[in-house]
Amino acid sequence: MNPHDAEKLEAAIHRALRSIPDRQAPAGLEGRVLSELGRLSALPWWRRSFAYWPLAARAIFFVGSAVAAALVVGGLVRLGLPAGADALAAGVGERLAWVAMARDVAASIGAKVLLVIGAIPPLWLYGAAGAVALCYATLAVIGAAAYRALSFGRQPS
Amino acid sequence: MRKYQNMVFTTSARLVRNDAQAEDISQEVFIKAHEHFEMLSASPSAGGWLKTVATNLSLNHLQRYRNRWRFFSEMGSAGESGEDAPAVDFAAPDTFFEAIDSDERRAWVEAALAKLPDHQRVPLVLYHFEDLPYDEIARRLRVSLAKVKTDILRARVALAKILSRGGASRDAQPA
Repeated sequence: MNPHDAEKLEAAIHRALRSIPDRQAPAGLEGRVLSELGRLSALPWWRRSFAYWPLAARAIFFVGSAVAAALVVGGLVRLGLPAGADALAAGVGERLAWVAMARDVAASIGAKVLLVIGAIPPLWLYGAAGAVALCYATLAVIGAAAYRALSFGRQPS
Repeated sequence: MRKYQNMVFTTSARLVRNDAQAEDISQEVFIKAHEHFEMLSASPSAGGWLKTVATNLSLNHLQRYRNRWRFFSEMGSAGESGEDAPAVDFAAPDTFFEAIDSDERRAWVEAALAKLPDHQRVPLVLYHFEDLPYDEIARRLRVSLAKVKTDILRARVALAKILSRGGASRDAQPA
């Protein structure tokens, strides 16, 4: 297509598209919007967006948050850090002992799995990987065909 | 709301190609408008604001629900580079409609638009209905500028063919 034809086509399509009137909105749209607005306005203020909270509530929330943060930081300082750091670390270590145990169990299972995989002939592993890839590709093609069939089958009412 | 509901619904329906989803998006647009009522009630550009919000919400909707299908939907279509412009020998007509009333024209064009795949229809609608420039469309759809230009050109060619066919079949019908 030469540039002249492209420009002519663009102008013709533009005219065709811009000449059509808007579609009629569904009759129930206004009712739906009003009903949703009514539902939203009936919600108590604390269940609505923060922007809708009363000014006093927002101010109290900000002040309360600042006080809570100050208390936490102040409390930690008063606990005697870094003097209490060792005790704190020991306490945390006790509470997280299960993590170390889980890590040991996982390492043990991993070593056994690697041992089993090492015993399988490489050809079998390649075959299994190929089969998985084939299944994935088949699924992707089926999905694409289904999507395109459904997508192009749709028509506006 | 009555003044703008057709415009908002149409904007959304042309992009998402699904009336139920377009109605949901329109509802969301008017709820957002209600949140900004004070600003919009006195603004002469309220219509433009509503159209922009409708466009943005529709694009968000498409992005959210179709990202996972992009691979499938564009399978076999133009590459991301967009360098392979359509080599279509098509004589562009001056006009597609002569003496057709607006309702019939609307139905005809909407049906033709609906036949286009998403990756052609959405940039075409953004360019011709929303007046967005190519680079802005590329940015909004997160694709290359070349791909946007190619997709829009392909969409125009496809649309022109559909409209021309429709015109020919209509002319062939007995009065």
